Amino acid sequence: MMRPRAIKVLIIAAASLAAWEAVVRLGLVSQIILAAPSAIVAAAATDGRVFLTAFATTVIEIVAAILIAWTLGIIVGVVAGSSNMLAAATAPVLSSIFAIPLIIVYPLLMAWLGIGPLSKVVFGVLSGFFPIALNTMDGVRAIERRYLVFARSIGATTLQTYARIIFPLALPSMVSGLRVGTGLVVIGVIVTEMLASLGGVGFLISYHRTLFNTGHVYFGMVLALMMAVAVNVGLTWLDRRVGRWRILERTDG
Amino acid sequence: MSTPIIEVSKLGKDFRAGHALVHALSDVSFAVTEGQFVTLVGPSGCGKSTLLQILAGLIGPTRGEVRIDGKRISAPIPEKISMVFQDPTLLPWKTALANVEFPLDLRGVARPTRRERCSALLELVGLREFAEHYPHELSGGMRQRVAIARGLAQDPRLILMDEPFAALDEQTRTRMGHDLLDIWEKTRKTVFFITHSLTEAIYLSDVVMVMSPRPGRILETIAIDFPRPRELDVIGSEAFGRVRNRIWHLIAEAEA
Repeated sequence: MMRPRAIKVLIIAAASLAAWEAVVRLGLVSQIILAAPSAIVAAAATDGRVFLTAFATTVIEIVAAILIAWTLGIIVGVVAGSSNMLAAATAPVLSSIFAIPLIIVYPLLMAWLGIGPLSKVVFGVLSGFFPIALNTMDGVRAIERRYLVFARSIGATTLQTYARIIFPLALPSMVSGLRVGTGLVVIGVIVTEMLASLGGVGFLISYHRTLFNTGHVYFGMVLALMMAVAVNVGLTWLDRRVGRWRILERTDG
Repeated sequence: MSTPIIEVSKLGKDFRAGHALVHALSDVSFAVTEGQFVTLVGPSGCGKSTLLQILAGLIGPTRGEVRIDGKRISAPIPEKISMVFQDPTLLPWKTALANVEFPLDLRGVARPTRRERCSALLELVGLREFAEHYPHELSGGMRQRVAIARGLAQDPRLILMDEPFAALDEQTRTRMGHDLLDIWEKTRKTVFFITHSLTEAIYLSDVVMVMSPRPGRILETIAIDFPRPRELDVIGSEAFGRVRNRIWHLIAEAEA
């Protein structure tokens, strides 16, 4: 059983695809600029296996870079945020590096690490690390002293204070950093794949572009889009889970 | 008579503020008997909160010493002393019940045990139906009740309260004072209470200690012997007014 709304959406989608196909078939737009839906399907059919391998490579790079960027960013942010002196020393450095378009260091990374997945992961981590560390640091610094006095008064150990009080209190701000940072990780990995590499979705997009295989380029874009959407769905879910605390923070007093 | 629960002798505390040395407390000595409700009043900035923090073991004195239950205090002892602050300082992501349980949770008390004890405490402070509510769903007075229940959770001998009702409106404040006495009658913990409100101090206490402006000293210790359990009507009595006036003059003269 389908709801009328779903049927409407399907009809609109089908009509748009048909119009798109027609525009290309009728020669209104060059096939080099706009690939017809059929060309994208054909690309998937002929080179699906190659794309699948590339997709796996990119996913592994992105997942690795996300895990490392989150871990490093949160650790550095919590440590730097815990001390006024450390925060004063690191905050200007972190935010000025964050302001630099990091892509300018990629040639160096290539020279040091080669054009394989390692340089992509490292660049992805670099892209995502700074906003995560900065937001985490802000979140920790914003914690009012009264919570720490309370922690001491109930005899909480240092580990308990961090894990049970500081970390959850900083979480909403941390998640804002994760939203920005994780998006940048995905961009960082795909962009560097396009610049110089031998595998991954970014590489295939770039490679087929030089051959004017527009159908293949579009198919690569669809895969990249799928990853971005998947990451965004995950982040929205995370955001929603801690969203309620954000409201609470404002009202508890 | 047994050893007093709090013994403060020749206590002094100096702070360094920039290059200046601030004398917050000077030559403070007193003792509190177990089970008493003692209140410290004094002008703002006289070092009341500093004294409370030293009693709690949160900061160390510059001179003199504090003995709690006969032992010199150098760090917080949560199993003997708990604190209630002006701000309830509840954890916003935990329910009222989970907030009360939190200190026990950290100490590794098993869930069924702490749940049972803390539900009873929430009932004692009149919040049984609000156990599953989050702090933002509670009024200011209710949040402070949760904080009081949390203060009782570790079954301490002494509760230190730092202007716990100062942020509440007068109606709620009066009501909270009354209910606090009720809780105190039932639990008979020693309470050391700080407030700006002379009325609150006299209404609640067995003993009111009056502190001078900085450097804080104890000007006078006044025994309050209105019979217990006290009703709010006592506040309107002539005897109450006389005590209130006396304390007011003590503070006013010290400030002049």
